[in-house]
This record gives sequence, structure tokens and C-alpha cells, in this order.
Amino acid sequence: MKHLALAAVLGLAAILPAQAQTVVRHLHITSIPAEVELMQSIADEFMAANPDIKVELPFLENEAFKAKLTTLLQSADAPDVFHSWGGGVFYEQAKAGFLRPVEDVLTQEAKDNQGQAGVSAFTAPDGHIYGVARDVSEVVLWYNKALFEQAGVDPASMQTWEGFLAGVQTFKDAGITPIAIGAKDKWPAHFWWSKLVVRLAGKDGFEAAARGEGDGFEGEDFVKAGQYFLELADLEPWQQGFLAASYGDASGLFGDGKAAMHLMGDWDYGAMKDNSANKAGIPDDQLGILPFPTIEGGKGDPTDTLGGLGGILFSKNASDAAVKWVEFFNSVEQQKKYAEAAYYIPIAKGAADVMTNPFKQQIARNIGGAHWHALFFDQALGPNVGGVVNDVSAELAGNSISAEEAAELIKEAVDDSL
Amino acid sequence: MTTLSNTANAGASVAPRRWRYVERKSLLPLLLFLPPALILFSLFVVLPMVDAATFSFFNWNGYGPITDFVGLENYADVLTHRNFGTAVRNSLIVVAVSLLIQLPLAMWCAIALAERSVSINVMRTLFFLPFMLAEVAAGLIWKFVYDGNYGLLPAVGSAIGVDMPFVLGDKFWVIPAIMLVITWKYFGFHMMIFIAGLQSIPNEVIEAARLDGVKRWQIVRHIKIPMIRSAIVISVFFAITGALQLFDLIIPLSNGGPSHSSHTIVTFLYQFGILRMKLGFGGAVSVLLFIACVIVALAYRRILFRVEHN
Repeated sequence: MKHLALAAVLGLAAILPAQAQTVVRHLHITSIPAEVELMQSIADEFMAANPDIKVELPFLENEAFKAKLTTLLQSADAPDVFHSWGGGVFYEQAKAGFLRPVEDVLTQEAKDNQGQAGVSAFTAPDGHIYGVARDVSEVVLWYNKALFEQAGVDPASMQTWEGFLAGVQTFKDAGITPIAIGAKDKWPAHFWWSKLVVRLAGKDGFEAAARGEGDGFEGEDFVKAGQYFLELADLEPWQQGFLAASYGDASGLFGDGKAAMHLMGDWDYGAMKDNSANKAGIPDDQLGILPFPTIEGGKGDPTDTLGGLGGILFSKNASDAAVKWVEFFNSVEQQKKYAEAAYYIPIAKGAADVMTNPFKQQIARNIGGAHWHALFFDQALGPNVGGVVNDVSAELAGNSISAEEAAELIKEAVDDSL
Repeated sequence: MTTLSNTANAGASVAPRRWRYVERKSLLPLLLFLPPALILFSLFVVLPMVDAATFSFFNWNGYGPITDFVGLENYADVLTHRNFGTAVRNSLIVVAVSLLIQLPLAMWCAIALAERSVSINVMRTLFFLPFMLAEVAAGLIWKFVYDGNYGLLPAVGSAIGVDMPFVLGDKFWVIPAIMLVITWKYFGFHMMIFIAGLQSIPNEVIEAARLDGVKRWQIVRHIKIPMIRSAIVISVFFAITGALQLFDLIIPLSNGGPSHSSHTIVTFLYQFGILRMKLGFGGAVSVLLFIACVIVALAYRRILFRVEHN
């Protein structure tokens, strides 16, 4: 294989000088057609202003992207810039030398633009900046107001864990699926475990466990998170066949008004419409966001949020043209377009101000006021531990593992990778 | 990894015969015609195999240099992995289903369809059609058939008043569901091999038997099946190695789920070796699978050899 790659590189090198334009390949994971069009129009605008640069926008679907990126980055086909969720995977890529440090190339404006949180999210432990932050996201408990009314559940009664379980039971009794979940993909299930951990262990507890200190993930709070999860799973709150349902299936089910709640990132606002049968999803006036139930004695701060801090990384063969493109793409002016269309919440300072979508506004406020914005655990903990967290979460949802065993498996994976 | 061990096994089992060939004939054609194949084979089969075997002794996540030597730790991790047993069990179930259900079914269809006529040709093509479909396409088609909300199976179920389970989300039903697809997909291939064999049986032999008053079943049992022995030998070999390497049907159907209950050895390798970025672990699985395939190939040859001598 190495020989072939070498041959391919030599072949490319022979062709390249013939091209006048610098090609920038930006690998993205956007699947909503209108959002891709927006991205293309921004690229077109950039290319019109910079005729010597050609921006290409190859696409990989979410799961395929995660599976293929490792190989891709080490091949002749490596993109110049690509999507990243930060965290453990990013650190590995940086450590292995597959990324280009850009702190000297990036303009001060582009750095300030992202704020302190953004810059530090894409600074590796070695102190170099390898990318820019693009967006923030939060996992929230979406709910369908019409179904709440129909079952006679008061959303306010669900703010505590006991109240939440009682509400779920009321839905069950009314013959309505309480919660949609795409457990085949596993990461949707891991949001439940993560939210419980955020409530129970809090920032300090989680970070200590991730470092393998003390009892690590076998500690009391983490076993408790499993137990609470099982309490919920005991009520069989999920749709039928949830273990075979992908994220898209669950999102469509919720969008079709066939489940009362869906614990999902803010992107589901658009995806839920796109995945629904009539492409319209739940109308805005019937859609709501519930705060995740609080748990008595939990060590987490009530303002803590769980979500992502997405960005764009530069691979080691990225040219200065690639940096220029990303700066243009991530500028306030361009990012406002994303904010207006409510695809995501841009991190670029001021871009989010133009958001008119009340849900996105609320989520931006949540994140802004959060004591701790926990990054997606399966990304923060790296692919191996993250994979185990996803596994046990799906099993907890299916009630096929004990809380103690789940905690033990995660602890084992952490010890294994330390 | 899937195709290479197959080719490698086949290579291993015919090697001794090739040596005899060299002694008899001149070396010139060998030197002329062997290098292209040999280079491709080394580049895409031997080299990756050696690579994978090397990885298996290291702790490596796919990024950067391979330096962290861990000895046999990866092998120990594989053998004690909580899902490895399930994967091995499932692969063995696939082998069993292939040999005990798929091949007899293929034989039955072949005997029924070995005559030459237009309608029979149509039937034959229909049975062979699934084999021509790409594995991933076939997997997706059946995923839709099995889908608990919109699928064909629950629709049929509700028409006859039976509440069908979500088969692909059910730890028990997912295995029979996959076995059904495998049988549907591959029996046509074996049927074609058998038909080719059956058609090469001289008609006189069958006619002579008929004139002697031999019954239909006896003709099948004592004439047809023994006379297509070599076709059966090939089929069994393909069935076993194919079953051990099953991968691309599983991924779109169940992706190894629910709760990793429907992994085969290769999907196990992909999930825990590639996706979890533990390439050393994955390398260890592939080496174990390779050894299993070699053992099967050698044992199979051994058994056949013995039978031939009896």
C-alpha cells in the first residue's frame, strides 16, 4: 500500500505544476440540501474574489466520515480542511502530525472572532492552534406540545427526575410513545447517559474520571447515572424497535408527531423537518424545549450544558489559500447567513445576533450562561472510550446491562487507553 | 482482508501440484507470465497481510509511527473480549446454515431445474438474480423488508393478524433474519454450479438406469450426486470460506447490532479494530481469522484426500 501511495503522490506531483489554480478541498458533513447550497454559494463568492483559488466541497455522511477520516488523512486524497468535533480525536490527529499549525498564518481578526472558548477548543495540548471553531451546539430535550396536551402532561411537572418519570408513565398510559431514540447509531443513546452524568458528577467529577483518578468511571456518580438510566428504560419509554432505529429514523418519528420527546442536538430542529414524512415536521408553535430534569444531590451546576463546539481543522498539506478560504467562510458576514437560516449557531462574534429562530436564540443563551459546556462525551473521550460509552448507553437503553457492569466497562476502556 | 485470505488459502492448497508442473515443463512460460500476477498478488495480498500481522503486536491507533510493542496483548484482548465469542458463534452459525440449508436447497433446485426449456431458464435466472445484486444493495433491500414501521414483513404480518417483531432490533430474531437473507442471496450461486455439473452427466447413463427400472430418487442418490462430486467439493469450500468472511451483508442490515449480537468475525474486526481505531487489535483478529481459514483449507484437503483414497 505504501508503494502505491508513493506512486500516487509522484503522479500527482507530476500533474500539479500544470495547474494555475490552488485547489482547496473542504471535506464537510452537511447533508441538508439547502445548507449545502448555501455553502456552495459562499464558496462561489470567495472564488469570484480569488480567481487563483478553487474551492471544492467533498461530502461524507456523518458515520462514514468518522470511519474513513483516519485513512483519508494519510492518503494522497487527504482534504485540506475538514470538519471536526474537537476533543480526543483531534488531539490524536495533532499528536500524530497530520495537522498544520496555523497560529502564525491566522489573522488576529479570525482568532478574536471565535472568542477564547473557540480558540482553546482547537488548540492541542502541544500549544499549537490547528483549526478554527465554527459553531456551538447543545443537546436539548425537544418536546411536542400537542402530544403533551393530548396526554394531559404538564411540561412544568417534568423538571425533576421523579416528575419526569411520572410524565413518561402518563404518556405510556395514554398510548403515546414518550421518547424517540435512534439506538442503532448508539450516540443518540449516549446523550441520555451524558446528561445524567453532567447532572450527577458535574465538571470536576467527569474530568477526574476521564483522567482515571480515584474510582474513575466506576465511581458512585457514574454507577448512579446508569441506575437512573435503567429506571427510565424500565418504563419502556422508547418507540417500538428502537434498537434497530437510526438517528434519522428517530428524528423522523419525532418530526411526524409520533413521539412526545427527543433528546437531541439543536440541529434536529432542521433535521427533524427534513426527516419527517411531509418534510415540514412539527410546526414552531407546537415545538418546545424542556430543561433536562434536575436530580437531587447531583454535583452538576444547574446551568451546565452538553453539546459540541464544532470547527474546521487544517490538514498538514493545507496551503495558505486554505487558511484564507476558512477565514472567509468563518467570517461574521458569512456566518450570519447560517444563523439566519437556523442551520447552526455560529460562534463568530455577533453572527448569532441575527438569529430570529426562538429555539436557537434560547440555546445560544443556554450555552452563553453555562457554568460548563460539556463536549460530546464520545468525542471528548476519544474513539475507543467514546465507543464503549456509546455501546453501554445503547445497552442501558435496552435494559440489557447492569449499571455496575456499564460503569466497569467504561473504566476498563479508560485504563486501557491511559 | 476478506478476499485475500480466501485467495491465499486456495494458493496454499494447490502449491504442491504447481511444483510438479515446474519439473515437467520449461521455466520460460513461468518467467514470462508469472511476474505480473505475482507482483499484484504481493502488493495487494501478501504485503497487507504481513502489515496486519505486524500491527497485531503493537498498540497503534492508525496515526503516526508504530512504536508501542505490546507482544501478545492484543491477542489476549481479542480472546477475552466480551463480544468476540458471539462473533465466532455467529460465523459458525453461518457456516452451518450454508452447509445444512443452503447447499441442500441449491441441490434440490438444481436437480429440478437442470433440464433445458424456456420456463426453466426463466426460473433459473430468477433464482440466480439475488447473487448478481451487490451485497450492500441486497442488505438495504432486506432492511426495508424487515423495517418494523414501514416494511413488507410487518405489513404481511398485520394482513394475517400476527404482530411481527422488529426483527433487526431483536437480539433473537436478528440472527434468523440474517440467515434468511444469506440463503436467499447465495443459494442461486451454488445452484448454478450444481446445474453445470448435472448437465455434464452423459444422458446415456441416466437413460440406462431408467431402463433398468431405477427410481427417480435412486438416480439422484446413486448417480447424479456422486457424478457431480467435484462441483459439490468446490461449493462446500466456497460456502465455508465465504461464511467465515461474511461482512458486507451485515453492515447495512444490522451493523452488528442490537448490542453487538449479530457480529460476524469480520464485522467484529471492523467495529472494534477499525472504527475504534485500535488497529493492533484489528490486526490480531485478522490473523486469527486467517489461521482459521488456513486450518479449514488444509483440513478440507486432508479429508478429501483420504476419501479419494478409500
